[in-house]
Amino acid sequence: MSGAKNGWNRREFTAGAALLALALGIPAAGVKLTDLDAADLPSDRQRRLIADVSDLVIPRTDTPGARDVGVGDFVVLALAHGLSGTGAPMASETITAAVAPFRRRNGSLRHLPWLEHRLDRAAGGDFLRHDLAERTRLLAALDAEAFAQGAPPSPWTALKGLILTGYYTSEAGGSQELRYELVPGKWEWDIPLQPGMRAFSSDWTAVDFG
Amino acid sequence: MTNNTQFDAPQFDAPQFDAIVVGSGITGGWAAKELTEAGLTVLMVERGRNIEHQTGYDTELKAPWEMPFRGQGDAELYAREYPVQMLNRHFNEFTEGHFVNDADQPYQKAPGKDFDWFRSYQLGGRSLTWGRQCYRWSDYDFGANKRDGFGTDWPIRYADLAPWYDKVEDFVGVSGAAEGLPQLPDGRFLPPMELNCVESAMRERIRAKYPDRVMTIGRTANLTEARPEQGRGHCQYRSICARGCSYGAYFSTQSATLPAAQKTGRLKVVTDAQVHKVDYDPKTGRVTGVRWIDTRTGEHKVAYARVVFLNAGAFNSVHLMLNSASEAMPQGLANSSGVLGTHIMDHANTMAAMAVVPGFEGRTSFGNRPTGIVIPRFRNLDKLDGEGFTRGYSFQGGALQGTWTRGKRMGGIGKDYKEELHQIGAWTMVLVVFADSMPRASNRLTLSRRTDPRGVRQLEIAFAHGKEEMAALADAHREATAMLTDAGGHVVMGFDKPGHGGTSIHEMGGARMGWDPKTSVLNRHSQAHDIPNLFVTDGAQMSSSACQNPSLTYMALTARACATAVSMLKEGVI
Repeated sequence: MSGAKNGWNRREFTAGAALLALALGIPAAGVKLTDLDAADLPSDRQRRLIADVSDLVIPRTDTPGARDVGVGDFVVLALAHGLSGTGAPMASETITAAVAPFRRRNGSLRHLPWLEHRLDRAAGGDFLRHDLAERTRLLAALDAEAFAQGAPPSPWTALKGLILTGYYTSEAGGSQELRYELVPGKWEWDIPLQPGMRAFSSDWTAVDFG
Repeated sequence: MTNNTQFDAPQFDAPQFDAIVVGSGITGGWAAKELTEAGLTVLMVERGRNIEHQTGYDTELKAPWEMPFRGQGDAELYAREYPVQMLNRHFNEFTEGHFVNDADQPYQKAPGKDFDWFRSYQLGGRSLTWGRQCYRWSDYDFGANKRDGFGTDWPIRYADLAPWYDKVEDFVGVSGAAEGLPQLPDGRFLPPMELNCVESAMRERIRAKYPDRVMTIGRTANLTEARPEQGRGHCQYRSICARGCSYGAYFSTQSATLPAAQKTGRLKVVTDAQVHKVDYDPKTGRVTGVRWIDTRTGEHKVAYARVVFLNAGAFNSVHLMLNSASEAMPQGLANSSGVLGTHIMDHANTMAAMAVVPGFEGRTSFGNRPTGIVIPRFRNLDKLDGEGFTRGYSFQGGALQGTWTRGKRMGGIGKDYKEELHQIGAWTMVLVVFADSMPRASNRLTLSRRTDPRGVRQLEIAFAHGKEEMAALADAHREATAMLTDAGGHVVMGFDKPGHGGTSIHEMGGARMGWDPKTSVLNRHSQAHDIPNLFVTDGAQMSSSACQNPSLTYMALTARACATAVSMLKEGVI
């Protein structure tokens, strides 16, 4: 996929999405980019950035990390389709001077350009040129600011949520890092919780309400 | 289109049945089963597509990583075509095929009013997607209208329905625990699913402080023992029921009533058939059959029968009656009273309180139990102790441990963060309240001037909760907070205002039962006062809402009405 200066054009992106769909084993039919403005297509750099940021959030340990399972590209797909409310116009109280330049005509936010700008500014230049420790420090600072008690709403929370979704609904994230039991077959209502016991990705009530 | 007389002309070659059942959901399935088992030939007409039991549950076995949007679904598509259905907690990428496309099935809301109408148009209707909670009503409920003067008095009491509750529970398979509570009569239960450790402790702590409040396991139409004679296996504790269950472990049309009706050899099912009119013959004073549009071809079709059962779902049955107005019945079918469409209800509902519950860190559970807990009504029973409301509310909910999604609310990145989400999360307990919805004439259904894509006039819904519901939810919020706090929880959030009408998915009323033909549509047998061979046995018949989930009562009323219809047919009365 070419990394033209202005980002991918629609045709390239659609082709890329189809390849991506193949790579992820999902039907290309599911990857529609209707109504996506050319200006919203992520640049090659933004695509690398979100893959890197995802991996900083969920790195490889004794189980695969976010990069290993393609979380960055899931986030691209999710943003293109407005998952987790990311396609909706921003609530007026969340529009600050820092995010205003990244809004679409319909009032929704271009999350990746915002993230790119935000991290490059924090890095005093190209975020991706820094070493792992520094990138981790910079992202941790952004994260801490967004999740601080009483902090104003930050677009980072939605991005982080999509990163988690991308990872824990992947096969490795859902069934290696966590446990996945499609057919438990029984209800054991009171059992000891052993140290190191893994949470279930297939506890659907917990996924919804936990 | 529906007024075109070309389609109203009698068709002498049209098929004839003893009975026509409109709708194939929970009550339509029961009507088909009862009527065919009594020896009648029955045509069941379903507006949606066919879904085969087992082989038709396309997403049942899929993992999130096998779905294009990982089970979350295409939000862009949902915003465009499923803006209402997407608000349903059970609506997701796995289940989206079990809900209507809102763009294709439009309805209107009266100016300034909101109503989220959740619908499943398919063979089996909402029996595929329902919450499966099964509660008997008591005489606190059947006597409610008479006691406080809202609505019209129910022409039946608990004793009329008790044997029919027995009958339907025996067939459905309801797991639950007997508690001996007069406000929530015990049924014929399969063994209960157990409370988890936090719920067990909360049950005891709440009872110690509030002797009149009993937390018990939800009574649910999931089998805890297999029913080999019905071809149904026991629950596998997956809690993905709304995808369809090929074990047949929860009660649905497909798993239970449809095979029973088909076994008689007297059932014919037609799908993709949107009934838009019930024919009425003013000379005989009887309905003669129904007319539908084949939604695949646009063809208009008709079939005739000696008796017609409306089981299209409360609002759709009323819609059909309004749309069946004729010269002889200009206000709508069986609407000489003028109350058709009025007094619609839906439980006022909100999450009353959620608490973190410490002290159970070393304990967990295995499996996904497909039901929660219930705390039956304790207000306004023998003593009127509600402030600003005369009826009741009950809580449903449960205790659960968090999983990875809690990370969305947590700061942190990297290895430690991943390690934290690796663990089973803290215990929390949720109490959701359902309050009686008062029957009010101003909450009503009418026909809109707008039409749907098939040319049928749309339904317009005018609904608002009133001050009684607001008072009940305010009380429920206070009480839920107090109970969870007294039982050792730390309440972190809770609400005291209801969501939009419709969010309980317990919409009912509109063709209410009553003693007086001048003020009600149906008599005590779910039979139209005006038309003896017309029965309406879904939620439309309800005169009050109680605060329990209503489906079991609809089933019992349906079985009872079927027995009435069969004996009247045999006696030649209809």
